[in-house]
Amino acid sequence: MSAAVAVGILVAGGVFLILQRGLVRIALGFILLGHAANVVLLASGGMSTREPPLVGDGVPADTADPLPQAFVLTAIVITFGITVYLFALARAEGDDDDTEADP
Amino acid sequence: MLLFAPLIALAVFALLVPVTYRRFGRDTGWLLAAGFTVLAVVLALQLPASGDGEVVTASWSWMPSIDVALRLRLDALALLFSLIVLGVGALVMAYCARYFSRGRHVWLYTLMTVFALAMLLLVLADDVIVLFIGWELTTLCSFFLIGGVRSGAAGPALRALLVTASGGLALFAGLILLSVHSGTTRLSAILDDEAWKSDSPLATTAAALVIVGAMAKSAQLPLHFWLPGAMAASTPVSAYLHAASMVKGGIYVLMRFSPLFAENPLWTWGLITVGLATALFGALLALEQHDLKALLAYSTMSQLGFLVAMIGVGTPEALAAAALHTLAHALFKATLFMLVGIIDRQAGSRDIRELGGLRRVMPVTATLTALAGMSLAGLPPMIGFVSKETMFAAFHDLPGPAWAGPVALALTVAAASLTFAYGLRIFTGAFIGPTVQRRLHEPSLLFLAPAAVAAAGGLALGVGVHTLNPLIRRVAVDTREQFAAVDLHLWHGWTPELALSAVTFAAGTALFLARDPVDRFLQRPRRRLDGEAAFTACYDATMRAGARLGSLTQRSSPAAHLPVPILALAAIAAAYALHPIAVPAPPRPTTFGVDWVPVTVLAVTVAGAATRRSRLGAVILVGLTGFVIGLWFLLAGAPDLAITQVLFEVITVVVAVLVLRGLPRRFHSASRRRTAVTAGIAVGAGIAAAAATFAFTGRRERSPVADYLLHETGPQTGGSNVVNTILVEFRALDTLGEIAVLVAAGLGTAAIMDLVAVRGAERTAASEQAEVPDSALIVDVVRRALTPVLVVLSVYLLLRGHHEPGGGFTAGLVGGCGLALVHLSRPAASRTPLPPIQTPLLAAGLLVATGTGLAALAAAEPFLRPAHGHVDLAGAHVSLSSSLVFDLGVYLVVLGMVAAALNRLGHYGVEAASGAPRDAPERAGAGERGDA
Repeated sequence: MSAAVAVGILVAGGVFLILQRGLVRIALGFILLGHAANVVLLASGGMSTREPPLVGDGVPADTADPLPQAFVLTAIVITFGITVYLFALARAEGDDDDTEADP
Repeated sequence: MLLFAPLIALAVFALLVPVTYRRFGRDTGWLLAAGFTVLAVVLALQLPASGDGEVVTASWSWMPSIDVALRLRLDALALLFSLIVLGVGALVMAYCARYFSRGRHVWLYTLMTVFALAMLLLVLADDVIVLFIGWELTTLCSFFLIGGVRSGAAGPALRALLVTASGGLALFAGLILLSVHSGTTRLSAILDDEAWKSDSPLATTAAALVIVGAMAKSAQLPLHFWLPGAMAASTPVSAYLHAASMVKGGIYVLMRFSPLFAENPLWTWGLITVGLATALFGALLALEQHDLKALLAYSTMSQLGFLVAMIGVGTPEALAAAALHTLAHALFKATLFMLVGIIDRQAGSRDIRELGGLRRVMPVTATLTALAGMSLAGLPPMIGFVSKETMFAAFHDLPGPAWAGPVALALTVAAASLTFAYGLRIFTGAFIGPTVQRRLHEPSLLFLAPAAVAAAGGLALGVGVHTLNPLIRRVAVDTREQFAAVDLHLWHGWTPELALSAVTFAAGTALFLARDPVDRFLQRPRRRLDGEAAFTACYDATMRAGARLGSLTQRSSPAAHLPVPILALAAIAAAYALHPIAVPAPPRPTTFGVDWVPVTVLAVTVAGAATRRSRLGAVILVGLTGFVIGLWFLLAGAPDLAITQVLFEVITVVVAVLVLRGLPRRFHSASRRRTAVTAGIAVGAGIAAAAATFAFTGRRERSPVADYLLHETGPQTGGSNVVNTILVEFRALDTLGEIAVLVAAGLGTAAIMDLVAVRGAERTAASEQAEVPDSALIVDVVRRALTPVLVVLSVYLLLRGHHEPGGGFTAGLVGGCGLALVHLSRPAASRTPLPPIQTPLLAAGLLVATGTGLAALAAAEPFLRPAHGHVDLAGAHVSLSSSLVFDLGVYLVVLGMVAAALNRLGHYGVEAASGAPRDAPERAGAGERGDA
């Protein structure tokens, strides 16, 4: 339930931001959507066992699913790459990041 | 295997052209001519002169799983076409050596050699896939050779490409149909398949597809219009590709498939109709031309029509006639093209209205033109005379209704008469009459030699045409599996064909003498009988449709099309909401009480980030959100993720703040209506996402894959941090892909900012001076204290990643934080850029990671499989894995990405980046930065 609420909040905020004007806000929206995707991925492993997946530590039955964690780790990195790229695009037009002509 | 030798040799020639051109210049043409001649002799020697049905084959495994192989097969038909390709190729190459001025023609020689290779592949192929590859390669070479000469030729080149390539697709469909139903791609096996030798719908479809392909390639009505346009190519290219060889590709394929389809009514009547119409129409069009090269183009089309009609007749005698005329046409048409090129070079024009009387100043050229022209017109004792008579004779045995033979024969005689008439025009137009240009002279003998050899060849093979008997008879056997009752001789006695020849000469002479009324008749406005208009209409309609389709998604504003996928997702969610699916109850609780702490903070920070009007405020709130997500990961039992998340958030915020400099302090304002609509979409998407997440979270026990990974990590890798071993061992290929994306993003960022730096230099320099205070003293102190710690920490994290939280990603980020500190601590005024380390770092990282994989390959292990070992270090037992090296690659890429972000975004518009003094903005103009 908590994961679902977190995802809902992040998606709502991210979608709102990417629909706004200006590439910096769009980039911030993508960051939030990236967080949402990562929380979803992690939730796919089930949120009931939460011991860190380190061999030899803790109770094996309570260990969290390591595969989604590996996915999320690379996803965080990719999100960073995309974010920096979007920021670069935001500066590509000089001193304004407007994505729309004035109405 | 010897059959591969000519192909390999041609490939080597093509590769050597740039080298030899540097040494020999345009005389490279002579070397290539010699090479081609040797290859022709080698090929001719491979096929034993005697013994019907004997063939030479060679095969090289290529795609065994689908039974496609590089199969070659040399029979008489393949030999005939190979000799034309190589023989005419040798002559044209020698001609090129004098036709072109001294200059850079490497590209042209290379392409012509590649073309010869493609053509040879086409005619030697014994596999339909190989045949098709040869076919398409010739099309591509033709495209580049037409379009590569001068800028105005792009249109004709594209048209030729589209027409012949579309035909190629039809042929491809036909070949696939044939190979699928025969169960093999081997051409000779397909040709033995009796199932095709009927007029079943399937066989007729295959025949039709092959015909369409051949019609496009061999310029048959109504697909002929690309050929005159192709004359934009230089004359040697026209002589070689668009007269002697490439356009014969269609003829070759038709002859090759004759064993299957010769009895098919569509094949017979379709080819005869198309061929004779093309022969007649092409000859008419040729007669009305004044440009000699255009005249020859229409003449080629017309002659190809004769050949197509002959193949349609389909008797062994007709195919023998087609084979002989293919050879005759290649000889006289290549000669005529070469001579027209010589006239063009010497007299500066190819227009018969501007030329005249050249026989007085260029007698040798005139003689050669007369010889080739006689062959074209079908006059004895040239080879063209014999081939034309053989064609006349072949119509005797035309199958079908009784009237068909005489009608076809009459049309052929009419087309031949027109041919005779325009042949006379070529000669008289250029060489007879008052001499307009008296100061002209013969070109060098070397320039004339290739044309002379070809013309003499036409004469020699006319007088000695009986020497061709074995080859031509064997071609008939290869194409119709029957002995052809042809006996080639220059003099056949008083035959009906001779009478028809006499009629042809008389009618042709009459047409020539009645020049003026004929011209008036031809120049009348009339409907154009070709597919060019249809082609242009199709082309334009396609382009317009594409532009319209593209404009649907090509908006300048992302907000115009981003709602589409979001709403589509919401619609899918709504569909599930209307028809709820039963989800099992979670076996164990998925929500812990402590979860609500980060969720509550999240609600506050996200709401703030979405609504703040201040850029800095929004960035800080998004950063806070990231930290909360890190906390979430920690609660979910993912310390690696938490560390990575927090570190990335630090760097992201640093980069974001750097980007914000010079941008307006506040976001753009938006109307209330827009805010309301977007908020509505956002809330809808949020509810859908939350519902979907709730529907699947924790509905099952831990997956078998997870159990496998948790159990096998220790035994298989010697590591204990399961997440890290997944990244660098179990799923290292995925990680390699990820860091490749990072490298692309890093290089892309650098590239964008390089472009921008030139444009926006001055503007931002001014705005930044006002905005950024030089108060980095505290950061500097922190940097001095912290940088060594960060360096040590990052190395430590890298090394321990296999066992404890850490690894290449985390370690690279810690190193990146060090870079950020170094960068920020310097006062803005004197902030020199970090050295441009991002590209070497990114490249080195990718190389190290890929190298680890290749090392595994070198050790005969699967790509990227790590090697493991143990070392006893100071008494402690340490397990080592080569995946640590892979992780080092990851580390370097992450560091490079951070460096790219800081270096490019951080120094945007700062003069120091170019090394120019900061306090001289007026000198730091766009030009200077462009040089920097």
